[in-house]
Amino acid sequence: MFRRGRVVVMVLLVAVMVLGSTLLACGEEQKPKYGGIWKDALGADPPDLDPVMATDTTSAEVGYQIFETLVGIDPDGGLVPLLAESWKGSADGKTFTFKLRKGVHFHKTTEGGKPTANGGREVTADDWVWTFNYICDPKTNSPRAYFIDMVKGYQEYRDGKAKSISGIKALDKYTLQIETTYPFAPFIAVLSYNTFVALPREDVLKWGKDWNFHVVGTGPFKFESWKHDDKLVLSRNENYWMKDKWGNRLPYLDGIEFRIITDATIEWTEYKLGNIYAAHVDDPYYPEASKGLKTVAGVKTAVNELGTYLERPQWGTYYYGMNQTLPPFKDNKYLRQAFNYAVNRQGLIDLVLNGRAMPAKGVLPPGMFAYSENLKGYSFDPKMAKELLRKAGYPKGIQVTLQYNTSQGHKRIAEALQSQFALAGIKLDLKNVDWGAHLDTCGTQGTVPFFRMGWVVDYPDPDNFLYVLLNSENAGDQGNYTRYHNPLFDDLTKQARLATDQEVRRNLYQKAEQLVVEDAPWLFIYHYTSHNMLKPFVRGYKLPSFGQYCNRFTEIWLDL
Amino acid sequence: MGRYIVRRLLAVIPVLAGVILVVFILSTIVPGDPARILSGQRGDPETIERIRREMGLNLPWYVQMVRFYRDALTFDLGRSYRNNMKVTEAICQRIPVSAKLAGAALLVAVPFGMILGIISAVRQYSIWDYASMILALLGVSVPVFFFGLLTIVVFCVKLGWLPGTGYGGLRYLILPAITLGLRPAALIARITRSSMLEVIRQDYIRTARSKGVHERSVVLRHALRNAMIPVVTVIGVDVPSLLSGAMLTETIFCWPGIGRLAVEAVINRDFPIQRGVVLFMALVFLGATLIVDLSYGLFDPRVRYE
Amino acid sequence: MSDTGARTPETSGVMPPARATVRKADREEVGRSLWYYAWLRLKRNKSAMLGLALVSLIVFSAVFAPFITRYDPIEQLIWTEGPSAQLALPSAKHWFGTDLYGRDVFSRVIYGTRVSLRLAIAATVISIVIGTTLGALAGYYGGFVDDVVSWLISVIFAFPFLLFVITIVAYLPPSDTLVYTAIGVVSWIGVGRIVRGQVMSIKETEFIQAAVASGASDARIIFKHILPNVIAPVIVSATLGMGGIVMLEAGLTYLGFGTQPPTPSWGYMISRGQEYLLAGKWWWSIFPGIAICIAVLGFNLLGDGLRDALDPRLKQ
Repeated sequence: MFRRGRVVVMVLLVAVMVLGSTLLACGEEQKPKYGGIWKDALGADPPDLDPVMATDTTSAEVGYQIFETLVGIDPDGGLVPLLAESWKGSADGKTFTFKLRKGVHFHKTTEGGKPTANGGREVTADDWVWTFNYICDPKTNSPRAYFIDMVKGYQEYRDGKAKSISGIKALDKYTLQIETTYPFAPFIAVLSYNTFVALPREDVLKWGKDWNFHVVGTGPFKFESWKHDDKLVLSRNENYWMKDKWGNRLPYLDGIEFRIITDATIEWTEYKLGNIYAAHVDDPYYPEASKGLKTVAGVKTAVNELGTYLERPQWGTYYYGMNQTLPPFKDNKYLRQAFNYAVNRQGLIDLVLNGRAMPAKGVLPPGMFAYSENLKGYSFDPKMAKELLRKAGYPKGIQVTLQYNTSQGHKRIAEALQSQFALAGIKLDLKNVDWGAHLDTCGTQGTVPFFRMGWVVDYPDPDNFLYVLLNSENAGDQGNYTRYHNPLFDDLTKQARLATDQEVRRNLYQKAEQLVVEDAPWLFIYHYTSHNMLKPFVRGYKLPSFGQYCNRFTEIWLDL
Repeated sequence: MGRYIVRRLLAVIPVLAGVILVVFILSTIVPGDPARILSGQRGDPETIERIRREMGLNLPWYVQMVRFYRDALTFDLGRSYRNNMKVTEAICQRIPVSAKLAGAALLVAVPFGMILGIISAVRQYSIWDYASMILALLGVSVPVFFFGLLTIVVFCVKLGWLPGTGYGGLRYLILPAITLGLRPAALIARITRSSMLEVIRQDYIRTARSKGVHERSVVLRHALRNAMIPVVTVIGVDVPSLLSGAMLTETIFCWPGIGRLAVEAVINRDFPIQRGVVLFMALVFLGATLIVDLSYGLFDPRVRYE
Repeated sequence: MSDTGARTPETSGVMPPARATVRKADREEVGRSLWYYAWLRLKRNKSAMLGLALVSLIVFSAVFAPFITRYDPIEQLIWTEGPSAQLALPSAKHWFGTDLYGRDVFSRVIYGTRVSLRLAIAATVISIVIGTTLGALAGYYGGFVDDVVSWLISVIFAFPFLLFVITIVAYLPPSDTLVYTAIGVVSWIGVGRIVRGQVMSIKETEFIQAAVASGASDARIIFKHILPNVIAPVIVSATLGMGGIVMLEAGLTYLGFGTQPPTPSWGYMISRGQEYLLAGKWWWSIFPGIAICIAVLGFNLLGDGLRDALDPRLKQ
């Protein structure tokens, strides 16, 4: 998923029960209390509450509370049942059968108790069939429909040759079957992506173009009101299906209030004043927020007078792309490698990012399947960079313009690298453009030789990184912005898509990654970490390794 | 008077036509294809073509221009590229928010500025006069965003008296209102002073004084009333810079008004919203100058609208 | 803010003591050139002299920046000196402290004068050229030409400056040329109005009537007889406008448009330092903020003083 706005700076992390863990150690567990409004901040006015259109982390952060997918993701990145109770793949890996959970209902009321068009009816397999067809309808124009383009009948449907997608069928009221045209190993993982949620057709059709402002789903919270650039309010779904381990109905909270605060400085002030319960900690405030930082069960934790600060690696990679079809990077491996040697990743991380990142050797983030400790990456070596620059045909240095999308965080990094590059004889000019223009010029048009990009995981599989971002089938705005083309790499990542044996796949991905590191279409910079700062009275806060924005507030409660 | 109003209203028409024209030109010089932006990250050629057709982008420029005039005059400016909201709705939602801020800013600026101006005029060359005018000079020389920042640091961070940012009750309104009101207050102080000085030298004031009318009454009843005209003018004419100031003030204080909408629309390339806001702000200005012109009569019977 | 100053229909005079001196000067000195008297009047105006001093300070900093500063404004010391050079407090070594990258804030503020001045001068020159030309044409020919120019002025006047400039600047490739052209193209209306009014009234005077009667060409009348008489108000308007442009540029870079890093621009420094302001690192944004105030105040004071010194209305 792309990161946009300030969220981009570094999205975050993890969850841990703050006091919970200590109390558990004492063998006694606190009983959750009901009630209270969760007060939080969003880094931008969400562009799309409509999950079908949403591609950014801010929209997803809200969407996770209102909508639910068939398959969920646990805090450590594993797949868990959500609206599907269980699923089975066929032996040939091309047919998936989902047993749907019974007793899941769409929101009965919304926006101040007004009844929804669906009337709060139960979700059945027919709803899923309708939803998938709606998402893939070309008129819907969902930017993420292509995630499931391997489903049988997808192309015919897109081309208007079929009235519906033939590969998606309701076998009975609670059984859904999906067929794919080839065995696609990460298929179940893809379905956990936040576009593929159950939608009530009555409400979608009723609102038409205004659906984005009147969303209805099945999740733990219902949409209440949205004052743009100010506040977005959700209320408790009193008919939510999930129960806690004592059999109490979830969620505990009465509602959620997201304040829209675009400025990190202001967010931090509001947190300190107690107006919000959780905050993104921007670099300037890291020193005070992280006082007393220790590692507890793989999660960096600091408990201090401001609250609890949590930090953990996030599956994502920050890089500068070099377009393989444009000068000066075209057919000039030495030059691309020189850039990689010119960057002091550890220095950047320590001095500018407060140590909140991991130097990137390659594409895959640590902890992800097929990540290899033995990958050979680039070190910081200005001499080597100069030597390679000479071999590349630029003995007197080179001048390049970096294009990045407007954000304080990107600017901070770019300004630092500007000066590091200068040491190796590379003069870097900076140019910032808005996100839309950035995607347009780097992706569709491919007219930008050197650009910033970042990628955080959509579904927990290397396919989401290596195939999507670097296979030449995805050249252009489909993900491979650098237009990297290496037939051997293409072949390896394609094979890994089709293979079903995990060891075989691991091997293929590791070979592929070493290849791409050697070719250096990217300047590999760092892997993200995710973090959050919580008030001391917050309980049950669990955050995924996918990033703080993926958290569901189902089991959070306030010990006030 | 009636004829004057009609004439004044007719005079707005060519300006309005020009304003719409400028907005149209501004939106066409921008590089990039709106259909491309709308169709998302992986828009296929057919989708782009369909959107282009829907938006009328494939028509010749003069047809597009005529259409834009039609849309602008009927307030039908389409929907936001970013979240598909109707432009008119997006603007209407924020009018009360910005109006509140602008109103509060003027509520700060007018009395404060006039008091400073009166003091320095009545006590000309005194220490009060110098102090007021230095304050007024600083008021027009400090950038809005820098001043706003200082108020946040002082009143929110250091003293903790007021919330720094956000939209809510009266407490939230104070700092942004002071920030936005600073410049108009300074301008009003300067103008009040000089017009008061001029008025005080007039014959009728001398007459009033010589007739033994109490000094306070001279200042308040006679002089001030006549000094109001330039003050009203300054408020009216300064509306565009008030709006510019609002863009910065709303950005600093996270105030969800029109100014913020404008900045975000530019940053996000949300052309329909941007066009709508530019047009709206120009309309506000035209309306304000109209009201100012018409209100002269209230303060000065000599203005006869001829 | 973002106003060029020239748009505000202030009546004359601000600093009262200055005005009193002006009158005295008028009575005493008789028989020299307009400029000589103007200078005398200006010299006795304390606030104008303060303005002149502030403006001179800015100009001096811009011209002699390399001699005043010890550090390169874009050199990032953290890579060589480590974390101790990062966000260092103001000290004997770094008078205004250092920023996140260990850049010397003093050097950046001083070099920032170059950025602001260059932009303000370029934009002002453009606005004077456009404003004088159109204003003179409108005032001299009247009729249809005047209608068109007046219409153009009221149309541009109807837009908030900042938004207008941002709309032009935001989507085109960023460059200084673009920024000052955009500002100049929008801000000529102040000068345009004044020149138009002046030319209109001068045109009616006897000596121009005489020139017309003697068969002088239009161009000759405009350039030889009329324009020299509008120089004074144009200078006043331009000086006041400079302050407005410095502020406009700062607002523009504060919002992230305009001058790009690593160029040291004041508005940019404030916006970057703002994040660190609440963490107690005040020097990064406070010093450039003060620099803007000094520059704007200087131009405003000088402009006010010049108006008092040059404005013929005061010479009863």
